[in-house]
Amino acid sequence: MAAGLAVLLVLGVLMGVALGPVKLDLGTALSAIVSSDDATARVVVWDLRLPRVAAALLVGSCLGLAGCLLQSSARNPLGDPQLFGLGGGAAIVQALAMAGLVQAGTWGILALSVGASLAGAGAIAVFASREGISPARLALIGVSISALAAAAATGILAQARVFSVQSLHFIGGSFTNLTWADVTPALPFVAAGLLLALSVAGSLNAMSLGDRVAASLGAEPVRTRAVAMAASGILGGAAVAVAGLVGFVGLLIPHLARLLVGHDFRAVALVSIPLGAAFMLYADQAARLTFAPSEVPVGLVTALVGAPLMIGVARRVL
Amino acid sequence: MTLALDEVSFVRRGRVMLGGVSAEIAAGRLTCVVGPNAAGKTTLLRILSGELRATSGRYLVDGVDAGRLSRRDIGREVSIIPQDVQPPPYLTVSEMVALGRFRPHRAAWRRPDKEDLALVRSSLARCRAEAIAGRPVEGLSGGEQKRAWLAFGLARGTRFLLLDETLDGLDAPAKRAFFELLRAVAAEGRGIVLTSHDLHLVGGHADTVLVLGGGHLDLPHVPR
Repeated sequence: MAAGLAVLLVLGVLMGVALGPVKLDLGTALSAIVSSDDATARVVVWDLRLPRVAAALLVGSCLGLAGCLLQSSARNPLGDPQLFGLGGGAAIVQALAMAGLVQAGTWGILALSVGASLAGAGAIAVFASREGISPARLALIGVSISALAAAAATGILAQARVFSVQSLHFIGGSFTNLTWADVTPALPFVAAGLLLALSVAGSLNAMSLGDRVAASLGAEPVRTRAVAMAASGILGGAAVAVAGLVGFVGLLIPHLARLLVGHDFRAVALVSIPLGAAFMLYADQAARLTFAPSEVPVGLVTALVGAPLMIGVARRVL
Repeated sequence: MTLALDEVSFVRRGRVMLGGVSAEIAAGRLTCVVGPNAAGKTTLLRILSGELRATSGRYLVDGVDAGRLSRRDIGREVSIIPQDVQPPPYLTVSEMVALGRFRPHRAAWRRPDKEDLALVRSSLARCRAEAIAGRPVEGLSGGEQKRAWLAFGLARGTRFLLLDETLDGLDAPAKRAFFELLRAVAAEGRGIVLTSHDLHLVGGHADTVLVLGGGHLDLPHVPR
């Protein structure tokens, strides 16, 4: 399976680098990565296509892992950064930035997005720690926060008369026109999210037994949940800051990973990272190539592909 | 080894949930705590498991004051199957029982060793749960879920196992079989504490019966 995922990722990267409005054969595209003989090809590959490929890989892996962390720490199959409202705070920050109401540079906006997402994660962690809260109630609270935040973000964009295509690409999620300057600032946040996730990866397995049994096992459920939610807040916030609101990936990927590798959180997380990256990469190829030269929001593709897959997973395992 | 309660009380928001309880719970015995609803049975178990700290009195784990021990320390000696336990999402019975071997230290890397796997197998066998080992816990009947949880408790391998109304909802033959199993486990040196509403039910099986009423302990009744 590891080999299959690796092949999937390599093929996706090759598609992302070689295909597009500027025709490049595969050899030219690959040689442009290492040599600067063909200046045009190098600009197309290094400045236009590779940042986009990197962004899709990064955002997909962030959302896959964030979904895993939320589903396990909240014992909730509906755990997803968007559904639980974590992306909502980040969406408001991004909308404010797009409307010109907050000006803090790429780093500042990223930090504010992650901070807002962390606040959402904190709220969900408080609710999830309440004894006896049902998964359905927790999901309802998350969906409500998410709807409220999406409405606020849309309202901000409408009020500021932000160009409709730009708004659409943010609300539906998009990797259009991303440069390295949009991607690299997210890396430290993603690294922090990964490290936090790693620190609780073992204990999250015990969380499935409920807080009281987990505490008896020494898994410190309150601390474990807080760290896991913080990690998913950071990862979810960084993903929204880079690509806008892309739905379904965080929800679907952990369920697909469980079908592939069973229920050990460590294995599920380890597979969700490349699986989320691959899913997002192919979704972006479809988003940018299907109606080329015009593009559709990548969230449209993830929903179109993700919804039937999710229904299939729900019928089989939920 | 013993768990000793010395005049232990627990008061929450002015309400005495447990008042001045003194008792000694020995390894190698089946101790049943009996009483009506709100008698303080669950509070007593939560204190024994380290989940709650007594508001007064002393709780000693093998002679060491529990106030000086962390929840993790107490968890190494005492495990609990709570009354309101929910089936873990997705997990099969064997996966759940294997979590009984969870160790917080280096949990991110740890894989079950031979001893862990043997204990999981023997716990499943003792609870006659081999046939359901591959099935998701969520899809089991109430009685099957209780067997799975008991197997999980046995796999923990702790010196004491606390079972909060684990027999509720089982039919009479299943309860008898459970008691036989619990007595066999106790005979191997483990201390089992089981709460129940039904004095008549436990009276014929327990080594020691503690009768709780309104948070207070009546004199221990020792049927054997």
